[in-house]
Amino acid sequence: MARALNTSYGELIERAQKIFWLKGYKGVSVQELSKYLEISQSVLYNKYSKDMLFTSSLDYYTNTYSDPFLSQLRASTEGLESLKLFFYELIEALKNKTFPKSCLMVNTIVELRNENQDVVDRYDSYLEVLKESYTIVLLKSYDLGQFKKKECIDDYAEFLLGIIFSLSILYKINEIPELHTYIDEQLSFIV
Amino acid sequence: MRYKEYNPNRVLEKAIELFWENGVNGCSINDLVEYTGVNRFSLYNEFDNKQGILYASFQLYRNRYCRDKFAILTKNSDISKTLLEFYMSFLENNNSVSGCYMIHVGTELADSDGIVKDNLKNYLGEIENLLSELLKRKGYERDKSKYLSKHLLGLFCTVMSFCLIHTKEEQEKYILKAIHLIILENG
Repeated sequence: MARALNTSYGELIERAQKIFWLKGYKGVSVQELSKYLEISQSVLYNKYSKDMLFTSSLDYYTNTYSDPFLSQLRASTEGLESLKLFFYELIEALKNKTFPKSCLMVNTIVELRNENQDVVDRYDSYLEVLKESYTIVLLKSYDLGQFKKKECIDDYAEFLLGIIFSLSILYKINEIPELHTYIDEQLSFIV
Repeated sequence: MRYKEYNPNRVLEKAIELFWENGVNGCSINDLVEYTGVNRFSLYNEFDNKQGILYASFQLYRNRYCRDKFAILTKNSDISKTLLEFYMSFLENNNSVSGCYMIHVGTELADSDGIVKDNLKNYLGEIENLLSELLKRKGYERDKSKYLSKHLLGLFCTVMSFCLIHTKEEQEKYILKAIHLIILENG
């Protein structure tokens, strides 16, 4: 197919990550992938590979969705209040399908765990950046006098790390007001 | 009347293994035929289609795989210990895959399949009730029990996804700290 030649790799990944996000890694066969991307299976096998397209999709996800979201969080100034808005925005994205299905990283962890080192490296560094961002906001929050136990900051950051995972399941069965309450209450555990 | 030469529960057990390992989208009816050893005609006759097999598998999972795990929550030992044992029971499977089948399938399909969503909702609702009953038996007031069980259910969801990538030691540490934050700080 001539089309493969004038489609850039970036455009290809933009499409690939959409189908991986919706169907997971194992849920997309090479056949389906080639049909969806409009490139022949032989090109898919010879020039790229399903694994390569998948790991690039994870990179695309981090760059496009989570990085901007997190740098905004790190730059925030209101501590716990900023964290609350961050989670509210995430709920909004999950519910209105800006995030078509949960968080791609969470899905990937549930689906693949530690089957593939390239994937492990990617979610490890994703979680590290996430935790670092939470720590930065928690430090600001402490300086604002919003909680007392400074020695617990690391535990709190770990606890917050869990919220993205629980939300990725809970948004499927709860409505927005219930989810907002859930977040408010989770944040109240930081004392 | 024809005698059935296969056991439907045996088929479902095998289907659970396959769906869990490869995802539901990642399994074709051919894979199921091959893996269960039951021919396509019999499978269709019993369950209609792949979706039918999936829906039937939820019941078996709940009744067979979760019964002992849910029973942990009716124990009367120390509450942190009981909760830790409950969460860890899902991670210490003898199966090749650990975690929770309902969370696994729900993560994959609850957005697009209403029946999966309802099953997930009922399943998590049952766990939330068991948690709430446990807290009540431990002397927490009704409202407090409801409040805390909501967050212990949240922790269940986190453990069944986030903790899959941790070592056993890290899992226990994470769970105990979270229980502490949720319950002991709010007791």
